[in-house]
Parts: sequence; C-alpha cells; structure tokens
Amino acid sequence: MKKTKLGEFEELVLLTVVVLQKDAYGVEIKRELEERLNEKLSVGSIQSALKRMEQKGFLTSEFGEATKKRGGKRKRIYGATPYAHKVLAEIKHVRNGLWEAIPALSPELKTI
Amino acid sequence: MGSYSGIKSRTKNYMNKKEHITPPKWPLRFLRFFVKKDYLEEIEGDMEEVFQDSLTIHSVKKARRLYVWETVKLLRPIILKELEGASRLNSYGIFKNYLKTSVRSIKRNALFSSINVVGLAISMSVGILMILFLFEIYSFDDFHEQKDRIYRVTSHSGDATSNLAAASPYIAYRLQNEVPGVDKVLILYRNLSADLKTEKEAIAVKGYYASLSFFDVFSFKLKKGNPHTALVNPGAIVLTESTAKKLFGDSDPLGKTITVDNNKNFSSGIITGVMEDPPINSHLDFEALVSFKTVEDKQKNWAVSPVKEPEFFGAAYVYLVLREDAKVEEIELMMTEMLSDYNSRKDRPAMLRQFLTHRLQPMDTFVASPDSYRIPPGPVFLQRKIHMMIGLTFIVILSACFNYTNLSLARALRRSKEISVRKVIGANRFQVFFQFMMEAVLLSLIALILSIGMYLLIKPEFLNLLTYQRFELDVDAYEIMFFLLFAFVVGGIAGFLPALFLSRLKASVRLNDAGKIRLLFGASIRQILIVFQFALSISLIMCAVMVYKQYDFVLHYNLGYETGNIVNVNIKGHGNYGDLLENEYKKIPEVIATSRSTVALGTGKMRGAFVLSEDRADTTGFWSNLIDANYLDMHGIELLAGSGFITPAKKGESRNKVIVNRELLKKLNLGSPEEAIGKTIWFHTSHGGGDRLLIQGVVGDFIGISLNVRPYSEESSKAFMFRQKDPDWDAILGVKIKSTDVLATMNKLEEAYKKIDPVHPFEAKFYDDQIADLYKEQKTTYTIISFLAFLAISISTLGLLGMAVFTTESRMKEISIRKVLGAGIRSLSLLLSKGFLLMMCIAGLIAIPVAIYTVDEMLLSNFLYRADIGVMDVLSGFVIVLLIGILTIGWQIGKAVVQNPADLLRDE
Repeated sequence: MKKTKLGEFEELVLLTVVVLQKDAYGVEIKRELEERLNEKLSVGSIQSALKRMEQKGFLTSEFGEATKKRGGKRKRIYGATPYAHKVLAEIKHVRNGLWEAIPALSPELKTI
Repeated sequence: MGSYSGIKSRTKNYMNKKEHITPPKWPLRFLRFFVKKDYLEEIEGDMEEVFQDSLTIHSVKKARRLYVWETVKLLRPIILKELEGASRLNSYGIFKNYLKTSVRSIKRNALFSSINVVGLAISMSVGILMILFLFEIYSFDDFHEQKDRIYRVTSHSGDATSNLAAASPYIAYRLQNEVPGVDKVLILYRNLSADLKTEKEAIAVKGYYASLSFFDVFSFKLKKGNPHTALVNPGAIVLTESTAKKLFGDSDPLGKTITVDNNKNFSSGIITGVMEDPPINSHLDFEALVSFKTVEDKQKNWAVSPVKEPEFFGAAYVYLVLREDAKVEEIELMMTEMLSDYNSRKDRPAMLRQFLTHRLQPMDTFVASPDSYRIPPGPVFLQRKIHMMIGLTFIVILSACFNYTNLSLARALRRSKEISVRKVIGANRFQVFFQFMMEAVLLSLIALILSIGMYLLIKPEFLNLLTYQRFELDVDAYEIMFFLLFAFVVGGIAGFLPALFLSRLKASVRLNDAGKIRLLFGASIRQILIVFQFALSISLIMCAVMVYKQYDFVLHYNLGYETGNIVNVNIKGHGNYGDLLENEYKKIPEVIATSRSTVALGTGKMRGAFVLSEDRADTTGFWSNLIDANYLDMHGIELLAGSGFITPAKKGESRNKVIVNRELLKKLNLGSPEEAIGKTIWFHTSHGGGDRLLIQGVVGDFIGISLNVRPYSEESSKAFMFRQKDPDWDAILGVKIKSTDVLATMNKLEEAYKKIDPVHPFEAKFYDDQIADLYKEQKTTYTIISFLAFLAISISTLGLLGMAVFTTESRMKEISIRKVLGAGIRSLSLLLSKGFLLMMCIAGLIAIPVAIYTVDEMLLSNFLYRADIGVMDVLSGFVIVLLIGILTIGWQIGKAVVQNPADLLRDE
C-alpha cells in the first residue's frame, strides 16, 4: 500500500473498469461513472486517470472493435491487472478495518 | 414556434440523411497536434463518440461548442505529446552547429563573403545615417507637454507657392476672443533684432516679440523670473541663458534696465526673465524675447497698423493650444468667416485680390511637413523629400541584398551536398531554411560593425550638406538596438530567397542550375536582380549628371549684370552709419568701387509691389531695389535710354524718379525705351491713392530674384524698377575689389568694419558665393545622388565581379574544350559576355526614362530656366556603367581565355 499511490478518482475509475469487464473503454467508463456519481465528467479527466494508472501498472489495454459512431476509430478496452485487484482488496480491507473501529473508539474518546 | 421546430426537425432529417455530422474541423486538428501519437486513435474515437452522444440531446451548435470545450479540457500533461527528435535536444547545440557551419562557409568562400560583407556594409552605413536622421527629425518639439494640442495658423492666398507659415495678430485676437475651442493663443511677432547695451557690454540679438502666453503654450523653462508676468509690460525682455551670460557675466540680470539700440520699436527695456537656451530639437531658435506689447503700443495707432489689419498675414507666427474636443475643420471655417469682410474689400490691388484663408498646422508637421511654406521659423524637411530619401536608401540596400541573393543562388550547387546530408539525417525543410537565414543574418551583423565605422566617416560630410546646422546624429545605446534590428531585417531580406530555394531541394534530386527558378518570360531571378541593380546605377548616374548640369547652368547663367569680384557687406545700422563705412572702405587701395542698396539682385530676396500706367488702365507687379548713384555702373547694368541717378538723394528729398526695365514697359504698354522717358506711372499703395513716379531711365532685362524661386506669378517675375535709396537706411554695401591676395583684402575690410561697428559681427560674402548659396539645395541633391550613385555602382560592380568569377570558374572546362576544338579569343569573349551585354541594354532601356522622369518631376521641377539635355547626358549613365561592367567581366574572361587548356583537361 505504501508505494502504490491510487487517488480517490483513480480508484473509482479502476473499480468501474473491473465492473464493466469487456466493455471497459473510455466513453463507457465515463457513462457508467456519470450515472453512479450523478455528475458530468470530461473525456480528459477519465483519459488522464486511465493513462496514469496504466503507467503505474494497474491497467492493461488492447484495441477493440471500431464502430461507425466512433468515426471508424478503434476502442481501447482496459482490464485490471492482478496487482490492481490486490491493491483494491488491500484498500477495501483497510477501509473496512477503519469503519469497524469507529463505534468502539468514539465513546472512549469522548471520555478523555 | 411551431414552424421553427419544423425547420429544426427538417434540418435534423437532412443531417441524418447525410449520415454523419462531423465535429468541427479545427479543434480536431488541434487535438491531433497535441495528443500523443499512441493515444490519438483512442482519444479521437472517444471524442467522436461523446460528440455523437451529445448530438442526440443537444443541437448541432451546442454539441460542437461542447466538443471544443472537451478538447480544451484534454490538455493534460499525461496526454500531451512530448518533444521529438532534434527538438527534444537542447536547441543550443543545433544553434552552435549552424553557427559553426556558417562561419566555416563564410571562411571557405573568402572572396564571396567579403564581396557580400563590403556591399552590405556600404549600403547599411547609409541606412544607419537615414535611421538617425529620421530619429532626429521626428523628435523635434517632443519636449513640449502640449505638443499634440499645439497648432500654428498658416496663411494661404492663391496657389501653393503662396503658403505662409505666418499669420496676422488680427486673426490671433479674433481667435482668442471668439472661438471657444481655442484654449490659448500665442503671438510671436517676427523679426526682433536689436542691440542690447549695458555699461560694459553690447551685443546684437535676434528673436521674437512674444505675447504673454509664451510660457503657457510652450514648455521652455524659465530659470529666473515669473513665467506668467515676464512678458506682460512693454519693454520686458526675456534673455536666453547664453545671451544673459554674454551681457551680464555671472551677475544676476533680473530687473536690470538696459539700453536698446538699432530698433524702431523701443529704446530701453527691463530684463524680466532668463530662460534655458532652446534645445536643439526645438523648431524655434532665438536669443531673446521681447513682450509683444512693446510693438503693439508702438504700432497700434498707425493709420495702417500691422498689429490690427488682416492683410499683414506675414507679420507674426500665431500658435494655438486647442481644447481636446476642438475640431480643426470648424475653426478653419470660422477663420474664413472672419476674413469675409477683408476678402470682399474692393480697394486692394488687383494682383493681391486673391482670396485669403487661414489654416491650422499641427505641431508634429512643423519640421517634417507635407507642404512647403514661405518664411518658416525653423527647419523644414518636406515629407515628399524624406520619403524619397528613404526610398533611395531602401533601394540601395536592396541592391546590396541582391548581391548576396545572387551569389548564394549561383553557388547553391556547391552547398547541395551538405543539404542532402542534413536532410538524410532528418533535418526538415524549416530547419534548413533557418540555417541559411542564420548564415545571411550573421553576414549582415558583421557588415553592421563595418558599416558603423563607415557611417562615422560619412557623418561629417553629411552634416556639412545640411542647411540647418543644429543636427547631431550621435549614436546612443537605444539606437544601437534599432541597428541590430535593422541588421536582422537586412539579413532576412538578403537570405530569404536562397534559404527558401536551398531548403526546398530534395535530398535525392541532382541539381543542374540552382538559380533557374523560372519567373517571367523565362528570365531567371538572377538576371532580373542584376538588371535591377544596373538600372539603379544607370539612373542614379544620369540624375547626378543632369542635376549637376543644371547647377552649372544656373551658376554661369548671364543674369544681366556683373557679380565678379564684388563683396557684399551687410549694413547693420542707420543714419550716417552707411556713409562712415563707405568712406572707410574707400580708403582701402584694393577697393575700386563701392555702392549701397537694399538688396543684392539674384540672391532670392526681393521687395515687390504694384504699379499702374498713367491712365491706370494697365497694372503689373514688379520687383524693386533701392540703389545709390554708383550702383548701375558698378554692376555693369547699361542704360538703353535716359539717364541714371547722378547725385545721391538728400534727406527729405522726394525720390520719385525711377529707372525701369524693358519688361515693365511692355507690361504697361509704354512703347520703346526712348518713348517711355519722362512718362508718369503710379506706384500703388495699399489704401488707394498712389505716388506719382517719373521714368528717368530704361535698362535691359535681367534676372531679378533668382533662377529657382518661382515668384508669386510668372508674368510679374521679370518687371523691375530701381528707385533712389533713402539716405538714412541701407542694407547692403557692395564693394568691388581688385586684389591678388583676396584673404588679406577681406581682413582689411573686416578691420575697417570693426572700427565703425564694434557691436555687430562682420557679415560679408562674395556676390558669386551668395548666388551659389541660393542653389545649395541643388548642390546638396547633386552630392547626395552622386554619392548614392557611387555606392550603387560599387555594389553592383562587386556583385558582377562575383558572378563573373563564378561563371568563368564553372565554365572553365567548357572553355578549355572549345579552345581545343579551335575557338578563338574573340568568339570565346563574345560567348561569355553576350548575356551580360543583353542585361545591360535592358537595364539601360528601363533606367533612361525613369531617370528623365525623376529629374523633371521631382528634382528640378521648381526651375523656370532649364539647361538643355543632350544625348550624351542621357547616355552618360549607361556608358559609364557599361564600361565598368566590361572592365570587370573582361578581367575575368581574360583570365579564363588565356589559360592553357591542357592544364585543366589533363587530369580528366
């Protein structure tokens, strides 16, 4: 966890990629996230998150099909690496631990 | 609303039929430019898809707008393209490489480089001179805080030659009182000249009678005294610092009373202020100011008062400070309105009955003026002439640039290997272009250093040529910046064509002849450039020859009187002053004759008036001179009939007997000279009436004013009248000398002068020199043009030499083979030189009409009497250039032709 810096937005994008599986390309990720977050996202923000995570080794990618809607340009389908799955699991673990610690800790804090 | 949506849906259908609405082009192009190559396809696709999606919910317009916005938001570091190839390197390295290659190439071709550098330096030195000159001209009067609001009232009556930089005090007062747009009015009454005397010192000063707003209008600094009150009272005098120093030394002059001599308006004054000397960039220059009230009080009660009548529009300079919102045209109209009474008056003489108008001239055109004005207070450089000089300088510089262009194009073959290697390694067109531009700029920077040196050499010569002597033309740091910019521009112009051409070469293409980019009628750029250079040289030489011929013509023109060996001494006093001086001069043995008059004929200055015949049926303007009894004799003017003045006029005696010339008789229909003797004519005075004049003698025609000043009207230019001079007032003492040692005689004249008049400086000049001074402008034009012609021909000869060396070198093998096959020297010379001769002839055909037109329309257009131009004058430029060209080419051809062909061909 120490060396892997995964930003909050990056984490969201990464999870979306995992969720979308074979459909995980730029615009689809954008649509999915926009729906879930209920806010507008720009192509630039999604793309820069994807590229950054690809450089850090969380994602791999390969060209997919080309559609007319895309002006004959191919999609790039992203997939999470095992390393990414591991990191996501670690993060979840840490967060869960924290959540579990809350009710036990807070009353005592009050007494101090 | 319904119909609108209908249209909208139809558009949509139409769009659907077309199947694809594309995103706007230019953001896409931009996107392609900045997105990393590896990401481009994906991102372009994403963008397109998002665009198509947004089309389903938004209008086409909005979708496009969103697309643009999305594109902008793509500008993130991780997506941006990184620099590639050479541009990823520190560009310093490539600069160093270009510099090294340039230096090597310059060194390797020492001959061609020095031809280029010398040519550029010659032309750039003139460019530098021009830059400094323009700087100085356009910085005139910059120190006046209200410069953009200061105007001068000018006067116009009749054609453009009557434009006057002056106006009447009358109009000044009316402007002040009646026009709301006029903030301040200043009257500078002309021709203040007086001798100021303290107990110890006496000096003569020149300046103006200034109204009290002087220091409110101008930003001259008053060092001592109160700027608001200094010029209020009559007799108040403001001195410049240097004049105050001369008169009072280090003591404080403020409030001191001084005696004033030699002035009709006042005899004593009080010093009310000391101001800084006018800076050299002031169009006004003066030594003292006297309050305008001094003149006004003296002259306002005259029957015809210059300070009250609109017809004295030559009396004063009137300056205005306008309000910000004032409209110049409206004020001009109001002035015309103010003059309507005067303009409709019937008692003015016929020839003066021209419509008088006043106009306003803004301060920034006082020196660099679009029109010429008579009696300007300071230096004037006509914009037309300034533009002509800029044009000529530019053409000469262009000519030097063409040398570089030509030689580089010709030698392109030699550089093609280098360019090929660069291109194979991966240089693109722009990089090669840049390299060659840099080479040209480097050369022009070297030339700049040389040209500054040359400039320092020609500067004193140029300053001598100017009639206005207060120019400095010094170089300071700020101007050096401009020179550098100038060198870059020159280098850019010179290097552009070769750089363009060389950068276009493809690595694989083998060149045949680099210079043959076909342009017009199959002539190559090189030939056009050479023809241009020679046409320039030929026409400049022709202009110089024709102007010189005219200058020589006017100097030796038979004016109708003798001027040789006569020294004209200015008389600076009145009363018996003239008699004393004349008597003193008569004692000098070298002096053989003396005579006094008010003007010297033929030196451009003259008094004019109008005269009517006895029955008042005919009228003519005429020029007059007031002379003494010796005048006609001393100047060799012969009487055709009647007699000259025999005895000097006595004080108070009527001087109504006159001597006229034949032209005046003709104008007034007075018949032959003999018939005219004893007839009466009327001298016109401005308010009716007139003096009766009796014709006592008749002389032949002569040139009264000069050969180049066009008089107010051409018909009146030759009519002339001599009257007897007033015994108390003279202006000029003519002294005819006979001496082998002219300098010693002049010294004697000066010594004698000092005895009579210790106050005024001795001002004397040979009559012939005075006349020559009149044509100084033509002499200046001639000197400048012949200098430019010399430069142009040096530059084009250098270029020709370069081309000749190049052609003969590259055709050496051809020449050798021709020789082996039996070609003679004659046929070889013809072969090598016929292209050049053809270009020369074309240049001549272009240059001759251009030069004749320029001389006629621009250089000598103000001359009434013109020298005839012969065939030799027309051909002069052509012949000179042809000779120099043949010598240059012949030298190279000679070297090539006498070479033993075996030496060259043996190695094959």
